[in-house]
Amino acid sequence: MRFLLRLLSPLLGLVVAAIGVITLLEVITAWVAPASSPLVIPWPDWQAALTGVTWDSPTVRLVAIVIGIVGVLVALVPLVARRHDVRLTDPVPEVTVTTSPRSLARAVGHEVRSHSDVVSASVVASSKKVVVKAGTLDAPDEVRAAVRERIDTLFTRLPLARRPRVSVSVAATKGVK
Amino acid sequence: MSSRSRAAVARSTASDRTLVLLSGLVLLAVAVLVLLLGQGVFGVYRAQRPLIDPQISGWMTANATATRWIAVGIGIVLLVIGLIWAVRSLRPEPRPDVLLSEVPGQRLTVEHSAIADAVRSDAEAIDGVSRARVRLVGHERRPAMRMTLWLVEEADVRDVWAEVDGRVLARARQAFAVEVLPTAVRIELDAAASKTPRVL
Repeated sequence: MRFLLRLLSPLLGLVVAAIGVITLLEVITAWVAPASSPLVIPWPDWQAALTGVTWDSPTVRLVAIVIGIVGVLVALVPLVARRHDVRLTDPVPEVTVTTSPRSLARAVGHEVRSHSDVVSASVVASSKKVVVKAGTLDAPDEVRAAVRERIDTLFTRLPLARRPRVSVSVAATKGVK
Repeated sequence: MSSRSRAAVARSTASDRTLVLLSGLVLLAVAVLVLLLGQGVFGVYRAQRPLIDPQISGWMTANATATRWIAVGIGIVLLVIGLIWAVRSLRPEPRPDVLLSEVPGQRLTVEHSAIADAVRSDAEAIDGVSRARVRLVGHERRPAMRMTLWLVEEADVRDVWAEVDGRVLARARQAFAVEVLPTAVRIELDAAASKTPRVL
């Protein structure tokens, strides 16, 4: 969403600038050379159409509803666009340390896969929650406890500002050990 | 002080946010007003009048010159606002040089790249750091540092921190002759593994 915000903002700026340019062009053309008047925008047609439509006509209402929906969507973008950094505790007051959720997931994944009892694992991490799904050839309950313990030791080594909730699910995969 | 280091974590999107939010709200407000007008909230007869009111178009034909100047003014204002908006939003984040002395005749600044390179090579010398990226952000007078460290597997984050603060940042502070240098450190854990070629 942050990407969308960074994309949308200059686009909207350019749209505003384009409306300004077109207004200037049309007004000055109509003023200086009325013969070639509708230069880019067929505004006399638009004018005729808008003169014929009243405020309570269904078309106007429909267009207003569409504009309103677009407005809500545009207003939502900056409200939901935020960074998902994972904070680590600050070593000294003037230093802020962060890591990315992806990097945290990578670290957890390496830790989980570091023993041979786990044959496959997928990790999704955020600053609040770490979800681990692992596959094993051993008894799932024992492996689950082992994985949880490994993650606990990782989090004691890793000075996270707040410890995320950890959910581990282990499923038995078929295969030969 | 820590708020300055927190601000250095990433480029601020405050102005983009405000402008986009404002545009959305303007569109919404226009839509609501048009709907209310159509419902007859501002008068039953007003709702039945055309979008381009004959009264207004009559005024416009009567005062053609004034209308043109008003339209030209609106066009210029929109163009200027739109261009400033787009340019500000597309401009890369500035990399400030550091101002060491402001005494007239002895003004002394250190170029951004010189500092960034020096601190980066210091940071890359730390045990456990495979790669580092350093840049300054903020204003010339109040710079902050943004540092991205790629750690190898098995690197202890606390040891790396101790080195970063005790050696790298201490040297930088000494070089700038400042008490504190707000710094945002982004850490990429276990990043060395991604250096190995991957088959898709």
